[in-house]
Amino acid sequence: MAEKILLADDDPDVIEVISILLEDEGYDLITAGDGAEALEKIKLESPDLIVLDLLMPLVDGFGVFNALREPGYEPWSGIPIIILTSVREEVSNRRYELETGHRMDYAAYLEKPADPDELLETVSSLLGGRD
Amino acid sequence: MRHRIIQEIASSVVAAGGVDNVIRALVESTTLGTEAKGCSFLTLSADNRHLLHRITYGMSEEYPYTQQILKREAKEQVLKGTPLLVLDVKSDPRVRYKEEAQKGGVVSIAFLPVRARYKIRGVMRLYFSEKKKFDREELDFLDSIAELGGIILQRAEDQDRLARDAEEARRDLARIRDERRHFLSFLSMVTHDLKSPLVAVQGYLKLLLRKSVDLLDERMTNGIRRSIQRIDGMMELISDLLELSRLESGQVVSEFKPVLWDDMLGAAVEMAHELSEPKGVAVTTEIHRPLPEIFASEIRLQQLILNLVSNSVRFTPRGGNIHISARRDEDSVVVCVEDNGEGIEPDKLPHVFEEFYKGDPESVEGTGLGLSICKRIVDMHHGRIWAESPPPHKETGTRVCFSIPVGVTCHIEERWKLKENGGRNNVDIL
Repeated sequence: MAEKILLADDDPDVIEVISILLEDEGYDLITAGDGAEALEKIKLESPDLIVLDLLMPLVDGFGVFNALREPGYEPWSGIPIIILTSVREEVSNRRYELETGHRMDYAAYLEKPADPDELLETVSSLLGGRD
Repeated sequence: MRHRIIQEIASSVVAAGGVDNVIRALVESTTLGTEAKGCSFLTLSADNRHLLHRITYGMSEEYPYTQQILKREAKEQVLKGTPLLVLDVKSDPRVRYKEEAQKGGVVSIAFLPVRARYKIRGVMRLYFSEKKKFDREELDFLDSIAELGGIILQRAEDQDRLARDAEEARRDLARIRDERRHFLSFLSMVTHDLKSPLVAVQGYLKLLLRKSVDLLDERMTNGIRRSIQRIDGMMELISDLLELSRLESGQVVSEFKPVLWDDMLGAAVEMAHELSEPKGVAVTTEIHRPLPEIFASEIRLQQLILNLVSNSVRFTPRGGNIHISARRDEDSVVVCVEDNGEGIEPDKLPHVFEEFYKGDPESVEGTGLGLSICKRIVDMHHGRIWAESPPPHKETGTRVCFSIPVGVTCHIEERWKLKENGGRNNVDIL
């Protein structure tokens, strides 16, 4: 069965571009337009990988991180996360650590605009590593 | 002498006791010392029109010590600074409400002007249950006591005003800090919103290039590649503008801490390798140790060196070389990034640190802001930056150097360490 990837981004065009890219490679895509929807779909669909934007309405990517650390999300806390955002990595880390006192535990951090090959490589190395 | 002693007493007692306690002590002691029945201390309102009660000792509640006792002319005489003695309240024509003033058996009242810096600030009244006469010397002494009261008031007000000013300054500072935070969050929002559509468009273009490369002819493929590059340039420009605004807003000062050159240079050199090696340009280093610790922003200094390296890479052909050197020069640390690339024409050299200046206006690469950002970073550290092309004793290439003074960093450094410890505790609590 194809691996399931949850893609959370508030920009429908980014969703479309990445969906085309990943679906072409045979991955199953689930999408969410904000963090709240992403959390719902994580529970519902148990994806194998999450591609997460940080700046989103309602619940942002940092909020998704926080939620996944909570006891209610224990079964899903081990899903690898690729952050795909226009925020610089050190800025995000500093902000998250200041706000929560914890390190943000992601599998990979890609700054937008990401190169399609780089994203594909990251995705396949993370999913390949699990099998 | 009298005045000076009073001033001295006033400053030390205000500091020790708080103004109302001191005036209460003054009122009590004067009552006991003059064998008076009681004493009250009244201060003039801010508009100088009313006498307001402040402290009273020894008088019963029913006595009108908070009210006006004298008729207008007599009251004004006291407020002009002349002490006044009413020997017998019952018969003195200057007393306004004779019956009231006699309550509780008051016979004589002394009215002493409360002065400070030649300005009347109130009246001190001494009430006696028998006819009380004072000689000139006694009255003069009581006058001094009242003056002491006045100066104490003045001192207390000065202190209050200072405290108020300090509070106001604190509030201003907090407001400025707030505004800056808002401004910066506004900026990052703008940056994000300006970049988002570009990210989307570029994403489609990259997909198009990937999926349709067989369908497009070379010119079209090239056109799409150029579009992707132009968007990259646009995004770089947005980032650079944000960076300049950040540097301008002074936000960066909070990043200052003692910087160990070895760590900082080590990281910068490593990143320089990553940047230049794909372009076939080698990086060599020459670091004269030991380098003194300085108070600086480590991230910005790295960014500064990388900006210089990235410029050099852009103008150095494959097979070229970039040389990073660092040494102490008297009270500064001087870092140079030198390349053997194409160099800068003499007429362009003076302009390279100007905003949006590009050596080749036709060039798509670079925003023309890189060296301006470098200059801002150096300015922030009270340093100097300069460019030489060709470098001394060389035929071609460019050398850009900056010097950061070691300066009076120890003092700030220690203050920072204190602050840093506080900050660390805060993080622990979180």
